Amino acid sequence: MDVQVFVDLQDRLDQESTLRESIKDAVKELNKTCRLASAKLAKAHAVPKSQSQEVTDSIKPQFEAIRQNIGTLVALIQPVAFYKYHEMWTNAIQGACALVVFAVYLESARLATPEDIQAYVGCRVNTDNTDIAEFVITLEEYLHAIVSLFNELSRLAVNSVIVNDVQRPQEISAFASELYAGFQLLNLKNDSLRRRFDSIKYDIKKIEEV
Amino acid sequence: MADITDSKRQVLALFTGYRDTLDSHHDQRERVIKCSRDITALSKKIVFSLLRITQESSPESVFKDAENKHKQVLDLFRKISVELQGSNSLKYNRQATPGLQEYIEAIGLWAFLQDNVLISKDQVLQRLSVPGPDGVVAPLVSVTDEDYILGISDLPGEVNRYCINAIGKGEHEAVRRCLMFLRQMKEGINMLMCSGYVRDLDKKVAVLDSSLEKTERAYYSMSIRDSEMNTQNGRLSMAVDI
Repeated sequence: MDVQVFVDLQDRLDQESTLRESIKDAVKELNKTCRLASAKLAKAHAVPKSQSQEVTDSIKPQFEAIRQNIGTLVALIQPVAFYKYHEMWTNAIQGACALVVFAVYLESARLATPEDIQAYVGCRVNTDNTDIAEFVITLEEYLHAIVSLFNELSRLAVNSVIVNDVQRPQEISAFASELYAGFQLLNLKNDSLRRRFDSIKYDIKKIEEV
Repeated sequence: MADITDSKRQVLALFTGYRDTLDSHHDQRERVIKCSRDITALSKKIVFSLLRITQESSPESVFKDAENKHKQVLDLFRKISVELQGSNSLKYNRQATPGLQEYIEAIGLWAFLQDNVLISKDQVLQRLSVPGPDGVVAPLVSVTDEDYILGISDLPGEVNRYCINAIGKGEHEAVRRCLMFLRQMKEGINMLMCSGYVRDLDKKVAVLDSSLEKTERAYYSMSIRDSEMNTQNGRLSMAVDI
């Protein structure tokens, strides 16, 4: 038997290990930046709508850092190997997109589009099922980010009342039910997106109660 | 029906598109799963057919039958290849790999029985290669290192079965070859375990260890029997060449 077969495989496995370490480090950095941005963005729950622009302005440096972190990650990955390592960063990317979706809502009371995502974090959202030739944000990651919005909206509705912003819950409710109608069009399988989708019901209910 | 606002219309249009994308992805995944199952089933038939080699009078008929089944498997690979172009190859690897591993195990057993070699990844790709529309011969699908490693790591189980049959027929040379093969596989796979992590490999090593042990014990029993027979016949006991 040719031992060389195993020696070559071993070399390649070692190289792959090294790459995985680098990816892990890049993802760790991205998570750190996102956590910081998330903490700052959370202040939006403590102020009325009129002041939320200040909050979104305050995280511009964080979005810049997120762009850079993602850039580091992208540089490590050859597009043809994208799906090999995809699981390693998918949660972090979802988190980053969720921040964009919330920030865009706070600024413009609308749903962040794939174009918005690209503008904020520098990565294209892949909205169709075709071959990819570059690092992308998957459709599932984008949809997960939108699901996160519902939870923020239900909190925002409650907190608006606390800061005496009486108009807001109505706006939030109208927006949330439109968005939910869109989500209900999807044929979801029994995966994590489906499970999170099921929890949207509760957020919607809370919003309507307010 | 209530008036739909412009924004709602927009949202619905967007999500209709996303629905189509997700549907198309799920459908593609299903097609890969089905094809992978068919490849698994046919590859297992190839293995059963190959294992009958100790019962057949001529090994040629066994290999000829394997060749016929192999043509059918290639047709299945042609089918699955459509879904695994470009980045889709890795995207649906999790769904395609069971069939691919079973196939590698089958042609791996074939290579061992016919040529007494461990099939290499390049040889696997060669077996999967057919002329394309432009006449260029290329593999129908890609094979990752992981696919290959997990595929060959199932060989010890089948080699062990062959070995037991060979022992039953008193085929010493075959048994010796099996033993050598299993030992070298164990050495090779242990090397791999020291490097990066390969999913499921530790389970396969457990099977390899038990296969090796069974084969060694069976060979040992066979050698004892033979030397007893030789002593009874008044001949020098056979040198036990382990």
